[in-house]
Amino acid sequence: MVIDFSNYYDLPRNMDSFFEELWRPSTLSQRRISYPPVNISESEEEIVVMSEIPGMDTGDIELTLNEKSLVIRGTKKNEVGNYYRQERPTGSFQRIVNLNVSVRAEAIKASMKDGVLRVVLPKARESHPLTISIDAQ
Amino acid sequence: MTSEMEKKTAPALPRFRPNTDVLEREDGFHIFVDMPGVAKDGLSIDLRDNELEIRGKAVYPREENAKVLHVEFGDGEYVRTFTISDGVDREGIRASLKKGLLELFLPKAARFKPRRIEIQAG
Repeated sequence: MVIDFSNYYDLPRNMDSFFEELWRPSTLSQRRISYPPVNISESEEEIVVMSEIPGMDTGDIELTLNEKSLVIRGTKKNEVGNYYRQERPTGSFQRIVNLNVSVRAEAIKASMKDGVLRVVLPKARESHPLTISIDAQ
Repeated sequence: MTSEMEKKTAPALPRFRPNTDVLEREDGFHIFVDMPGVAKDGLSIDLRDNELEIRGKAVYPREENAKVLHVEFGDGEYVRTFTISDGVDREGIRASLKKGLLELFLPKAARFKPRRIEIQAG
């Protein structure tokens, strides 16, 4: 084998990565179990879903809006060659994001930059917060 | 440990070991590193002696006036080191970053390339 990986025998670095695991940021809602990882944020006007899907063409990612859920689906291809190490996930993946409000399907915008998918889902008018004025008597 | 100095000087971004594939093809070695959110100017690749170190910073803009409902990834620095042997032609190492995927190509040194051996007719 022509390339060695220091990680196999480099104890100090192993210790480093062990501690890194321990001090993982606690702000993360859950560990990376499902693929791809998603972030969801909400403002008064819209819901924004971000997802890390590196190395994918936009044409290979399928976004489907069902009633009250957004489905991110796709297939990651294997590279051609003789693998020495394989850590990147391959095969098909699917992630379902539940939406607790209704959104305007025709106004959804999706974009991809540096392997990060960003879907902006504008909320339907009826789910905007409504201020009710109180009449003084 | 190796990076204590850096940790003191730089603001602490959480460090991640990016997922990496290493493959051999006829022309050489191909290394694929998942670095979502890393743009070209956030990436550094250094070759020191036998160590090829890759660092990529992913910093996401804050969503304004939005409250966060669910978080599974965030700002961070991807760091990974590879040890390269003499079988690699160092001058020929190429890197490209596309769609959050870093591809490194390490060509084999000429003497390690497969070649056909001529048979002398006698």
